[in-house]
Amino acid sequence: MLIEIKDLRKKYIMGEMEVEALSGVNLSIAANEFVSIMGPSGSGKSTLMNILGCLDTPTGGQYLFDSIDISSRTDDELSEIRNKKIGFIFQTFNLLPKLDALQNVELPLMYSGVDKKERRELAKKALKRLGLESRMNHKPNELSGGQRQRVAIARALVTNPEIILADEPTGNLDTKTGREIMEIFRELHQEGNTIILITHEHEIAQQANRGIIIRDGLITKDELNDQKNTLLSEEVDELK
Amino acid sequence: MQLEENVQAAFNGLKEHKFRSFLTMLGIIFGVASVIAMLSIGEGAKREAIKKYQQLGVNNIIIRDMDLSDKELENMRAKFSPGLSLKDAQAIRDIVPHVVDVAPQAEKKADIKYQDKSVKATLIGVTPSYSEILNYSADKGNFITQDHQNRQLKVCVIGIDIASKFFSIENPIGKSIKVDDQWLEVVGVLASKSLFTETVGELASRDLNSDIYIPLSTFHKRFEKEKLFSSELKQITIKLEGSQNITQIAEIVENLVDRHHFSNKDFSIVIPVELLKQEEKERRIYNILLGSIAAISLLVGGIGIMNIMLATVMERTREIGVRRAIGAKKHDILSQFITESLVLSIIGGIIGVIIGLSFSISISFFTEITTSVTLYSVLVAFLFSVIVGVTFGYLPARKAAQLSPIESIRHE
Ligand SMILES: Nc1ncnc2c1ncn2[C@@H]1O[C@H](COP(=O)(O)OP(=O)(O)O)[C@@H](O)[C@H]1O
Ligand SMILES: [Mg+2]
Repeated sequence: MLIEIKDLRKKYIMGEMEVEALSGVNLSIAANEFVSIMGPSGSGKSTLMNILGCLDTPTGGQYLFDSIDISSRTDDELSEIRNKKIGFIFQTFNLLPKLDALQNVELPLMYSGVDKKERRELAKKALKRLGLESRMNHKPNELSGGQRQRVAIARALVTNPEIILADEPTGNLDTKTGREIMEIFRELHQEGNTIILITHEHEIAQQANRGIIIRDGLITKDELNDQKNTLLSEEVDELK
Repeated sequence: MQLEENVQAAFNGLKEHKFRSFLTMLGIIFGVASVIAMLSIGEGAKREAIKKYQQLGVNNIIIRDMDLSDKELENMRAKFSPGLSLKDAQAIRDIVPHVVDVAPQAEKKADIKYQDKSVKATLIGVTPSYSEILNYSADKGNFITQDHQNRQLKVCVIGIDIASKFFSIENPIGKSIKVDDQWLEVVGVLASKSLFTETVGELASRDLNSDIYIPLSTFHKRFEKEKLFSSELKQITIKLEGSQNITQIAEIVENLVDRHHFSNKDFSIVIPVELLKQEEKERRIYNILLGSIAAISLLVGGIGIMNIMLATVMERTREIGVRRAIGAKKHDILSQFITESLVLSIIGGIIGVIIGLSFSISISFFTEITTSVTLYSVLVAFLFSVIVGVTFGYLPARKAAQLSPIESIRHE
């Protein structure tokens, strides 16, 4: 298993108030799965994703990534895992505004110590893969939302990570652009990538192979999507 | 590997916030400029002092006959002191160890005339050793020779100011001038000597270029004493092999002369090298004071950098979060922000060096103060600005590095 989670808990303490964002999550994800996570706002989806991405630490339970116990890792080791094994994609893109597309995509490689020439080559390749060869020297504010998200995907892919985590990647995009981005995720999955994707759109969740639903910090549903179902929804789309 | 990117990013930030960066650097600029200006003033004063005492001779001991009134002189003679004399000079040369040579000299004020021009000058009777011991050389003609001295010739060597006053375009050599009631032939003109602007011991400050030199023998034979009981000599300059043990040798000299003068304190001893050391000591305190003032402005500059860097870190929390999310380690963030403050302080340092240099040059150009910029002072000032950059950049950079990845990426 690539990811194994047992009784994962996350409690936020804000003054007198305690909020339990995750109250005992159990989850296993194997390589090359395409998992969608759905759930109402505030149910703990992002909290779970941030812990999976080693950005945040749980307050209870166990998280094994690649059979490594994450809770026993140092800050530097976590940085390295984030750098080499995880590709994070955010709803708000989180590109650095002062760097152009190419520099943004090069950034993770810089932190893993790849030399400048190779870094440039790999970043160009990733951007080309996402159809952005003509936009490489544009700053984020010179790009459309869809293009920005493609740059962010290129940045997540450039290190060839073991898992891609996307927290509502289409949340800030119009339906058409969102669909294009989803198409990219499907291709990436077909190429053998492992993907976990948060969404609150049923239609988008349907495109994954496995659907998880979270309510109040607990997994309430976790089942494989019917292939026919998926196809059906696509046909429905096309009919629209 | 990230240095290039970090420096590049720092420069981009600088370009983006030109005015803010300039204000931030101002403290460093003034700090460095004042360090350089102050060090250059200190160095200039030091060189002036060295020049002054070199003129007196760093291996020399000078004995001066005290300036006394007629009454006091009479008193001294009554108590058997002969005053400074050739006998003293002879004894010093014969008895005191490490003495290379002595130069006895007699002095008096005299009226000098040539054609219709006349000036008042100091007439100085010297032996040929004088030129070597005090580094005097003739610019035209010769200095006083042994032959002049032996034959008590009526010759003189004149200072350059007298030469130019009396003989504007004429060649002074071979001309006769009248000193008091004696006619003397000019045999040489001295090379220019810098003004002696300060009184050192019994050595009164005066314009050495208006002196007139004659053989000591001629002085004693042809000229009346200034006062009835004036001593035979006004000064004996003693040249030693080196400046080691100079104070001990001076003590021996003092005891010797004291004995000859029956313990009448009618002379004083000046050791140029000792005075130089003492002056250096006084100047050091002054330099430390000036240096502290400059250091404080550098410190204030450093605090300015720290302040702006703290604001920058706050402003860029989100960026820090993104960098951490894609794999930047704490020390990557740390070095990024330290590089940034370093770039600020180095640029400030460079501008400060330029301003400091122009400042020191202007000071010596527009005022009487001599300044001297040394490479060392530039390096010190620059190094200081770098140290300030690292030290005061460290705290904000550490703060940036310590931010939690998740909280900073959520930061609005
Ligand atoms: N940093 C935080 N401090 C306090 N409470 C938080 C924090 N982050 C999330 N929460 C709370 O945890 C719960 C889950 O949040 P989140 O995981 O962001 O939900 P989702 O992504 O499903 O909308 C919410 O009630 C939210 O208010
Ligand atoms: Mg969320």
